[in-house]
Amino acid sequence: MSAIITLSLLAILVLYLGLFKARRALLPVSLLGLVATVVLYGVQWGKTAEPLYSGMVLFDHFAVVFSVVCVILTILVLLLSKDYFDKSSPHVAEYYALLLFSLTGAVLVVSFHNLAMLFIGIEIMSVALYILAGIRKKDFASNEAALKYFLMGAYSTGFLLFGIALLYGASGSFDLAAIKEYVVSNPQGISPLFYAGILLLIVSLAFKLGAAPFHFWTPDVYDGSPILITIFMATVVKTAAIAGFLRLFYFCFIPLQDFWVPVLLVMTIITLFVGNLTAIVQQSVKRMLAYSSISHAGYLLFAIVAIGATSANSVLFYVTAYSLSTIIGFGSLILVKRATGSEHFEAFNGLAKKNPYLSLAIAIAMLSLAGIPLTAGFVGKFMMFSGVLADYQVLLVVLAVINAAMGIFYYFRVIVAMYFKPLDRDAIVVSGPYRVVFFLAALITLLLGVYPAWLTGLI
Amino acid sequence: METIVQNIQGVPLNHYILFCSIIFTIGVMGVLIRRNVIIIMMSVELMLNSVNLLLTAFSVHHGDAAGQVFVFFIMALAAAEVAVGLAIIVMVYRNTRSVDINALNRLRG
Amino acid sequence: MESELLSTPQDFVPILIQLIVAAGFGVGTIIITHLIGPKVRTENKLGAFESGVEVIGNARQPFSIKYFIVAILFVIFDIEVIFMYPWAVNFREFGLSGLIEMFVFMGLLLLGFIYIIKRKALEWD
Repeated sequence: MSAIITLSLLAILVLYLGLFKARRALLPVSLLGLVATVVLYGVQWGKTAEPLYSGMVLFDHFAVVFSVVCVILTILVLLLSKDYFDKSSPHVAEYYALLLFSLTGAVLVVSFHNLAMLFIGIEIMSVALYILAGIRKKDFASNEAALKYFLMGAYSTGFLLFGIALLYGASGSFDLAAIKEYVVSNPQGISPLFYAGILLLIVSLAFKLGAAPFHFWTPDVYDGSPILITIFMATVVKTAAIAGFLRLFYFCFIPLQDFWVPVLLVMTIITLFVGNLTAIVQQSVKRMLAYSSISHAGYLLFAIVAIGATSANSVLFYVTAYSLSTIIGFGSLILVKRATGSEHFEAFNGLAKKNPYLSLAIAIAMLSLAGIPLTAGFVGKFMMFSGVLADYQVLLVVLAVINAAMGIFYYFRVIVAMYFKPLDRDAIVVSGPYRVVFFLAALITLLLGVYPAWLTGLI
Repeated sequence: METIVQNIQGVPLNHYILFCSIIFTIGVMGVLIRRNVIIIMMSVELMLNSVNLLLTAFSVHHGDAAGQVFVFFIMALAAAEVAVGLAIIVMVYRNTRSVDINALNRLRG
Repeated sequence: MESELLSTPQDFVPILIQLIVAAGFGVGTIIITHLIGPKVRTENKLGAFESGVEVIGNARQPFSIKYFIVAILFVIFDIEVIFMYPWAVNFREFGLSGLIEMFVFMGLLLLGFIYIIKRKALEWD
């Protein structure tokens, strides 16, 4: 709990620092606060977790691990943001504060123990992001992204609330433990309201996760928002959404598996195909990454289809691998766009000659996203697939492998452009923070690919 | 006071569920069909308010105050959301001079 | 005493009659004056009465965007009162800890308010 309080107070502090013109202090203070949060979580690790504040939040291992992942990803995003927003807006402090508020919401989403907290967490996370998506006030694309994100977010919130209301009507409580108790103690007499509530929750969480058929806002919003905000949405928000999804279903709905697994199964397959097929035809790297993030949402849903004791671990691993590679992918896009003004595949032509290290990091990220062995992405996909195979859903795995092959095709287009399409160009200047982030992300991706055991035993 | 509560409880719960579902559906259809952003936002509010009513009905039915407390949170957060949403709409209007959702077609592909 | 507290639907009949009479009076007077009143239509009579000042322009015109900001800020702070209402009702049961918690809540709101003032969002010019 102290971590959440630290985060919210940190955001307010940053807001006031901006007020008193302490611009230089913004980034160091934010980073310091985030590191302090990680430390506070570390202190909490291993203690027996009790639901706090009349059962509102529960900081078990699941919550702590996913919170730490969210915080660390935010640290990486903040490192990339040095000098990024000074140009587009005079209100830099608000940008940092909103990112921190959004992170607070994400942390609440992964550690809720009461449906009220799920709702409040999702709202805090999203409302801050509506503003961030439109932070470039004069830019049409940014405007459009903000409006679309807002409308879709508010719409999905409606579904979430109706689902929660129906669950409450059937079980008489918002507490996860009480709902579980209701499901376990009435194996036959579960009210139809409860089933409807589960379906509505699936709809709204799929909206937040960006899974088909509720994905249509994702490419436009990811494309229109400033790239840094896109990174945050594609990593932290997605992590929080899948973790909240898993937490809810793992805690409460496992006994009703026969009812909702077929629904999710269909959604997973549609998500994979929609994401990959549309990613193949894209000409812009930003849109390609946006569509590929849809397909990764599909892979993440595998863990919920094959829900069990290992689901949390495979989601953790997959989400870490995916997020690190996404940060490199979009982060390098910032640099390339700054140098060439274009987001197309051609903008990467001949990069390997002039920026060998940058190209190597991008290549590692693309290989990891495609799921090539010796990278974290491969281990993540392997864990997902083996979880599903254990449930004898062979057909799903076959479809997923077909999709992984499609993924290889479009991720390799970036690598081919960098290494095999010669072009005379100037070297891109990679500033210090970017180097640190790319190096760390690539290193962790490789290390996890070789020694996956570091992360798999955590939850 | 007692009798009022009893009278309200006399209305079968199913009526509330049906009523709220109808309002919710009107909201959902409004979002899908209407093209004016302001009206879409009003439809979203309709969805949220049907949930408020449903939660209150369930709360009375179960004799449990938690549902009504939840309604407070929905109201507060809906207000925050609308504030941000209206600000975004004003921003979009300043740039495009339109609140029609069809004007949002620059992002394609 | 017990029987007096219990009320049946029949007890509400007078209220229903009152409602009908009230609505009927309102609707009736409008209809009757419309039917039997004299009709004089001159420009002065149809124009809006502005205390003798000449009417300028249309009332349905865009107004300052600053009004929007003030209104939105008002709504946000206004809605927080709903958290105070249940607290005030149960004030005695919560005791000192409830008081402290509410002060924390109010303190956070106050921080937001100071931020707004410092950002000059409430200054009209």
